[in-house]
Amino acid sequence: MGSGALRRKTLVAGVAMATVLGTAACGSGGDSAGDGGDNTIKIAQVQDQTGPVAYAGLGASEGAELAIEEIEEQGFLGDDVKIELEKYDTAGEIERASSEMNKAMADRDVDAVLGPVSTQQAATVAPLVGRSKVPTVFTQAGGEGVVVNDYTFRVTPPMESYYASVMDFLEEEGVKTASVLYNATFPTFALLGEDDVPAMAEERGIEIVQSLAVQMTTQDFSGQAQQIAKEGADAVVMLLIAPQSVTALGQLKDAGYDGQIVATSVQAAGNIEAAGDNANGLVYPVPFSVAMEDKESDAFTKAFQKKFGKEPDPYAADGYDAVWWIARAIEASGDSSREGIRKGLEQIAGDGFTGAMGDLAFDGNDARIDGVLVRWQNGKETLVE
Amino acid sequence: MQDLLNAATLGSIYLLFALGMALVWGTIGILNFAHGATFMFSAFIGHMVSKETELPFLGVIGISVLVGAVISSLTQLLAFQPILKRSKSQHAAEMRILIGGIGVAAIPLALAQRETRSSPFGFNSSYKSEVFEVLGLRLTTTSAIIIVAGLAIGVGLTVWLRRSRQGLALRAIGVDAETSAGMGVNRPLLAFTTMAVAGGLAGLAGALLTFHLGAIAPETGDQLVIKAFAIIVLGGLGSMLGTVIGAYVLAGAETFVLVMNWGTWVDAVSFGLIFLILLARPQGLLGRKEVRRT
Repeated sequence: MGSGALRRKTLVAGVAMATVLGTAACGSGGDSAGDGGDNTIKIAQVQDQTGPVAYAGLGASEGAELAIEEIEEQGFLGDDVKIELEKYDTAGEIERASSEMNKAMADRDVDAVLGPVSTQQAATVAPLVGRSKVPTVFTQAGGEGVVVNDYTFRVTPPMESYYASVMDFLEEEGVKTASVLYNATFPTFALLGEDDVPAMAEERGIEIVQSLAVQMTTQDFSGQAQQIAKEGADAVVMLLIAPQSVTALGQLKDAGYDGQIVATSVQAAGNIEAAGDNANGLVYPVPFSVAMEDKESDAFTKAFQKKFGKEPDPYAADGYDAVWWIARAIEASGDSSREGIRKGLEQIAGDGFTGAMGDLAFDGNDARIDGVLVRWQNGKETLVE
Repeated sequence: MQDLLNAATLGSIYLLFALGMALVWGTIGILNFAHGATFMFSAFIGHMVSKETELPFLGVIGISVLVGAVISSLTQLLAFQPILKRSKSQHAAEMRILIGGIGVAAIPLALAQRETRSSPFGFNSSYKSEVFEVLGLRLTTTSAIIIVAGLAIGVGLTVWLRRSRQGLALRAIGVDAETSAGMGVNRPLLAFTTMAVAGGLAGLAGALLTFHLGAIAPETGDQLVIKAFAIIVLGGLGSMLGTVIGAYVLAGAETFVLVMNWGTWVDAVSFGLIFLILLARPQGLLGRKEVRRT
């Protein structure tokens, strides 16, 4: 028997004592008694810590660390139960995500994994997760091919699942025509730009008069901005990555476009700050914002500010809710083995829970939320009523 | 006409970036893959300084040019020069320099990514770009500066290389480093100076492009290196005028694709066009079949 298995048994005893009071005789459903020792749950975070989307992985790390601190302080899984977060850097590379994921899953002490944040990386490792039977909670990674088996879970709702709120906003603003400017080599934006936004626009009587696709490598948007200004649609749906958005906003203004611009949650986390005044009035949906006023979101924001001395971003909320989902799963199943966590995650997904992102419901293993609409004005997000 | 103006702006951006790379590759034979990182890090330092205190346009430009020159000089001194010394021939050194450049590039990239979390960064500057219309064409002041700077520096470098003694010495190194050394050309000093100038150009391009785009990301330089590489090959290695033309050909092709709204085909069409031109003229538009570099 490996040391990991022994530790797991010990841990489960702690969990069982803390969470199944009065029913100890029934056991915990999985492994049972332990003989003391290291009560540690090990979570591997296989996400970008460096590279072009490091902001998502680093944000998730901070959120996860805060969740772990709270879980341990509260004795949520038992007074002596510790959670260890081990980070594996995927560095923005698909092949590295695959090798780091294999490395993490080969460690028998790893009980659960926080999976890669980019869809390409996540979709590559998802089949490996199923074969290795390690429960993996993905954050971000909003494209298809990620939640594909019983061991894959996603805490960040896919963007298209809450993008309707943007189109509702445009309808309420009286928008009749819209241009779409989208990054066609970014899977989530390609899906939104080519399928979801046109369909949602049609339902609301908004005519898409122009659809301009760009590549991941496009840096200058002068031409597209002038085409959009010339067309003069009431609104622009801008589905671009962070640096592209900053440039496009400035060049749309330079081209003389002054209609409403709506964007995506990529603009959150201060990613639009560099656009300065050009970003004023920009509206986008987010799964989490510091402007959210419900009890859990507000508590998360305050706790995060206290621990890190800065405001949390949606990526931190992802990491926070992912770790709390795993903790709740262990509590629910009373079993911290990989299989126990998988069952617990399913059970919690069935019930839903409230986290930093508000009320999380699930479609299978995939989170769904309403999201909130925010408006960027003078360097701050405010809720759009 | 507006599309032509857009192509001119885009071509000038590519040109400003490619000039420094073309200068060192076409003369001292160094294909510097750290050029993109030098470009980015120069702008990044400008960003860091301007975070502390608002800077005027020329202040940002000055800092970026200086940082670019320093980084590039250090790269030559600490990486490329030792590689050249330890290699038996220039040919043997070329591959090692290429790999060395990629290694050097990783350091500023990692530093900027760590500091910014790969979020876009710009300048806190008192300079604000203005839009003006001439004959119904819209142009920003930054675009105008980029077009003028790109053309002036491109033509200036071409003339300098052809007419000055230092230019002649540099071209001599490009033709035969050993023979030119035997004729009194101080290769290490010229190589160091050329790298410093190329770094300064990278810094200038970094600052101007950041002003033009509003912000860049730590990875922006990597994307431009590939385009610059294609531009230099298209223009003809060793020909600065070829680089100038290559930049505008690539920008023209990209703008055409965008005007046709074939956005996702930009790279395929542009690089396909370059491929076709190179099939007809393997030495590039203005490259010479003989080894001589001008």
